[in-house]
Amino acid sequence: MLEFIQTITSGIAVGSSYALMGLAMVLVYKTSEVVNFAQGEMALVVSFFTYMVLENYGFPFYVAFPSALVFAAFLGFFLEFAVLRRAKEPNILGMIIITIGLEMILMGFVSWKFGADPKTMPFPMSPYDSVEIGGVFMSSLEVLTFVVALSVMAILFLFLKYSKLGVAMKATQQNNMAARLMGIRTNRILMVTWGISSVVGGLAGLLISPTTMQPYMMWDPMLKGFAGAVMGGMTSLPGSVFGAYLIGIIENLFGLYVSIEFKSVVAFTIIVLVLCVRPSGLFARHYVKKV
Amino acid sequence: MKMKRILVGLAALVLVFGMAFAAGAEQGVTDTEIHIGQWGPQTGPAAPWGSVARGTDAYFKMINAQGGIHGRKLIHHMFDDGYNPAKTKAGVKELQEGIGMFAWVSGVGTAPGLSVMDYLMERKIPWVGPSAGSLHWIEPPQKYLFAVYPLYYIEAKGLCRYAVEKLGKKRIAIAYQNDDYGKNGLKGAVEALEKMGLKLVAQIPVEKSDTDMKPHVMKLKKAKADAVLLWVTPTHAIRIVGTSKAMKFAPQWMSTSTCSDFPFMYKISKGLWEGVIAATFGELPDSDNPLLQKYKKDAYGKYAAKGERWGLFYYAGILFAEPLVEGIKRCGKNLTRERLVKEMEGIKNFKGIGGKISYGPLDLAEPYACRQGQKEVFLVKCLKGGKYEKLTGWMEIK
Repeated sequence: MLEFIQTITSGIAVGSSYALMGLAMVLVYKTSEVVNFAQGEMALVVSFFTYMVLENYGFPFYVAFPSALVFAAFLGFFLEFAVLRRAKEPNILGMIIITIGLEMILMGFVSWKFGADPKTMPFPMSPYDSVEIGGVFMSSLEVLTFVVALSVMAILFLFLKYSKLGVAMKATQQNNMAARLMGIRTNRILMVTWGISSVVGGLAGLLISPTTMQPYMMWDPMLKGFAGAVMGGMTSLPGSVFGAYLIGIIENLFGLYVSIEFKSVVAFTIIVLVLCVRPSGLFARHYVKKV
Repeated sequence: MKMKRILVGLAALVLVFGMAFAAGAEQGVTDTEIHIGQWGPQTGPAAPWGSVARGTDAYFKMINAQGGIHGRKLIHHMFDDGYNPAKTKAGVKELQEGIGMFAWVSGVGTAPGLSVMDYLMERKIPWVGPSAGSLHWIEPPQKYLFAVYPLYYIEAKGLCRYAVEKLGKKRIAIAYQNDDYGKNGLKGAVEALEKMGLKLVAQIPVEKSDTDMKPHVMKLKKAKADAVLLWVTPTHAIRIVGTSKAMKFAPQWMSTSTCSDFPFMYKISKGLWEGVIAATFGELPDSDNPLLQKYKKDAYGKYAAKGERWGLFYYAGILFAEPLVEGIKRCGKNLTRERLVKEMEGIKNFKGIGGKISYGPLDLAEPYACRQGQKEVFLVKCLKGGKYEKLTGWMEIK
């Protein structure tokens, strides 16, 4: 029984970083219906920027981490403004391809600038200390990630529901033309969305980096986060978080009780199944666009 | 008709002279140069092993600065294959069919090496010191392929014996990468334990794409392992040890030579690597071995790029190339591939900066004796700060 609870806890622990990535992707998707495959690599750039500030320039944590988040926001602004907005007659598929291109460029940049040797980020908390409750373990870094993921979800949820900017973001997604006619500067909204999603993704990157950093580290969390978001319906924030945790838990259970070799694949099998049964995901209402 | 006969005669003449010319000059060798090829990942997930090729490069430059070998300079052609077998094959073909290499040296990775092994062997091109301890290089033995890197398989055997006989461990488990590299380790562990009447209590496959190691650690913990062999990449090894620490699971960790670069492992694991026992195949970086010190001064000191670290994999690039250089030296002025093979086969108990190296005439029944050069490893333990403690001397494992 203890083993079962431990496995669930482990699933939740790993699900938190997926959840953050999922949230970031859902944000962009909500406003532009673009799936941003560069999300992981944007977080990668943010993490390595932080590493550089801490290791090479010797800034303290309380300077490095906030400045990393500011950097993340500007990175998001920049990519939207300089790359995506420049696309001529953009359709969604084209935009998605652009994000895949960005993904490769950013990863190439990090490999070139920092080399492919694994590194580790200094962090105020050891990633290898743990909290124990009744024989069940969770590392303190995972507890932190869990708290961050849930708080970010709550903040974003409230922000989109009640703030003016949040409502404008929603409006932009639902009908770009009408939103613009209502006086919303949709371009700017898109830029801000990219900024916010970059910050959320960057948080995930910063929380993954204290164990090991290397240019490939964000690919897996990004894909799993995306998978979780698809499961949750791609437009629902709580849905994507729930989906991410579900994937973490199923992976761990499957790894322990069925086959550890196919643990990584199981997540994607579930997605195919979910999409067959409920194409719009577990949480989102099926949204039909009127022509 | 007459014209035709003359033409045929001419063609025959050209053919005969052409062949005589081909027999006279070996591909990749001139009076002043010997062309040698090598691949090694400088980008991608295996890039940390890229220093092997850079080490070889500095070694060749050192030899050239000292006058070369019998008046010939070693021209080193290395390329980045990103640990991608398709790129390895394309790059090898390009260099072989473009410039024409006399021989190939080292080359990181089992999969990249396997992708070009048949190509090189069919063309009778010597290849010395593949930088991976795979059984594929010697089973079956190939006339033109000389392995140096001690087999992962014997490293696993050595570690298991040490764990049982010296440390009194009874419950041994392994976490292995689910490919040829990992399975070679698994095979060695199974065989060594069988001889001592024991069995692995758990054998956990790790996929290269896995980042979450909790299920793996749960299984190891459930099996109550008291010693665990890690036959995975350095990153995975650190993740497994770290996750175990967080889950309060502390067996004796043991690992392969691929994770025996302790200063590096200690740093990126934030000190967790302390206490890990590993097998290794070359002198330690701070060893007072005179030859190693000479390489450090004359090869690394003069030709290494800025920021290059004097680590195990860097000078492994020298270690893997030493037998080739010895073979070329023994050929004298008359350097051909056939002669090189013959001279290499005559190498007995050659001592460079690794264990003793011996080859023998090709014998299909004795692949290990005739084509596996280095058969010795020794065990080391990681101390505080990434320092080494030698646990055993060089030991030959049968």
